[in-house]
Amino acid sequence: MSRKAVRVLAGVYFTAMAIALTWPGMLPAARIRPFVLGLPFGFFWGGAWIAVSVGVLYVVDRVERRYRDGSTR
Amino acid sequence: MERWIVITLIIAAYLAVTLVIGLMAGRKATHSVAGYVAGDRSFGLLVMYFVTGATVFSSFAFLGGPGWAYSRGAASFYILAYGVLGMAPFYWVGPRIAEVGRRLGHVTQAQLITGRFPSRGLSALIALMSLIAFVPYVTIQIRGAGIVIEAVTDGHIPLWLGALVAYGIVIVYVLVSGVMAVGWTNTFQGIFMVAIAWILGIYLPYRLYGGVGPMFEQIAAARPELLVPPGLDAAGAPWSWGSYSTYILVSAVGLMMWPHLFMKAYTARDDDTLRRTVILFPTFQLFLIPVFLIGFAGVMFPATPPDPDSILPFMILRTQLPAFVVGLFCAGALSASMSTGDALLHASASVVVEDGILQFVSLDDRVQRMLMRVLVLLTGAAAYVLALNPGASLVQLLATAYGIVSQLAPPVLAALYWRRATTAGVVAGLLSGWATAGFFWHYPALKPFGMHEGILGLLVQVPVLVLVSLSTRRQDPAHLAGFFEEAGEARP
Repeated sequence: MSRKAVRVLAGVYFTAMAIALTWPGMLPAARIRPFVLGLPFGFFWGGAWIAVSVGVLYVVDRVERRYRDGSTR
Repeated sequence: MERWIVITLIIAAYLAVTLVIGLMAGRKATHSVAGYVAGDRSFGLLVMYFVTGATVFSSFAFLGGPGWAYSRGAASFYILAYGVLGMAPFYWVGPRIAEVGRRLGHVTQAQLITGRFPSRGLSALIALMSLIAFVPYVTIQIRGAGIVIEAVTDGHIPLWLGALVAYGIVIVYVLVSGVMAVGWTNTFQGIFMVAIAWILGIYLPYRLYGGVGPMFEQIAAARPELLVPPGLDAAGAPWSWGSYSTYILVSAVGLMMWPHLFMKAYTARDDDTLRRTVILFPTFQLFLIPVFLIGFAGVMFPATPPDPDSILPFMILRTQLPAFVVGLFCAGALSASMSTGDALLHASASVVVEDGILQFVSLDDRVQRMLMRVLVLLTGAAAYVLALNPGASLVQLLATAYGIVSQLAPPVLAALYWRRATTAGVVAGLLSGWATAGFFWHYPALKPFGMHEGILGLLVQVPVLVLVSLSTRRQDPAHLAGFFEEAGEARP
């Protein structure tokens, strides 16, 4: 993945996250059932976006790091 | 031995360890302003991770979080939503701030802004507004510490005394060791609060309901309105989506604009450390999940606490836990309070001296450090007096302060990324943003859709900043070259 692609990915993911956790993106998740991992759906929804962001940021860092190591030092 | 004495001894041991770590830490720093404020830019990944996490999550999260989950249900999810959104852009912005800071010798946020937009008045204004936002924030922390100690010792140690001892210790180590003490004590406190939150967050639902799922089944049957976002408002009526959404947005924008967090960019050893801190931050953030579980565990609890913010200590005391566990909980809550309070006190003193006073008089390094110490003492004393008066909910106080700090985001971004921005534009923008936020804070009934006053301020500020900048004279190219030199990303 190129540096540009990974920045677009991050931009898209965090924009989607901002929409998914506020009005109107959160409306479909504003419910109690189904329970996931014992949590009501709205609660799980919030936690899941954070958990996935760990993975997204990890990918971002791998690509950015490769780019920095290769071209600037 | 009586129960409260055992608890008090554990708290005393915790406070003693904190004090020793804080005092030891300072011996490694140089006796300079850069050493006192930015730790000689020496923090490694472990310290940065816990400093950032422990500083972000305070009494607000540890006591206010369960308080909201308990009384307002799903409304508390807003606290879960904004942290990562606010932190992620720092992966790119943070190293850039640090690079400009190393080159031009910045240790505060206002120095970055006025390094690009030279104005003594602007610098002093930012220092003043930061201080206004800081005092209620410190007050929350001190009050949180006092509440916990009073509750778990059955009132044998009253709020005023508990808060005085805990913050007396904070002030001693901040005075002696500066930011190095904040760093190393926060590492210790961060580990502590995360561990306690996860243990109690899993343990309490099991002990009281037989599990997390069964707990929510019971709440869904008895009080379903609590579990549907956006939850309830302070009066118990359904909260508005406009309010819920803008609370998230203003907190995301404002999070890294808090001077005490922003200044962490100057303490990292190198850019990689800073970036990895951002990458790992969401793992720290997940500790809010058990924190909310603790609050939800209180919903079906037979007795009612005196006020929602004390649900955590209230329940802990009534679940027949061993005194040892109660003592540890208390230490966790104190960690949350003190790890933010120390950073706030330290940053407010640094900001007032560097950005306020030094703009108008020149002082040597030694006098500056002394003045900062005097200010740590004064701010702490002012917040302590305020903390003794019962006030609004912990979360509510902090949400209001976010309206002030979030207005600093456009000037910071303009300084780093928009060459056409001018000093007049930034000053006009900031003044209009603060005026708008202040107006709607004072007349909440006028807010459209119940939107947070900070977002309304930003909606006014951004166009004002852009229009005034475009209609005033472009900045001197030589000045821009000096500021941006090597500041851009290295190009292939």
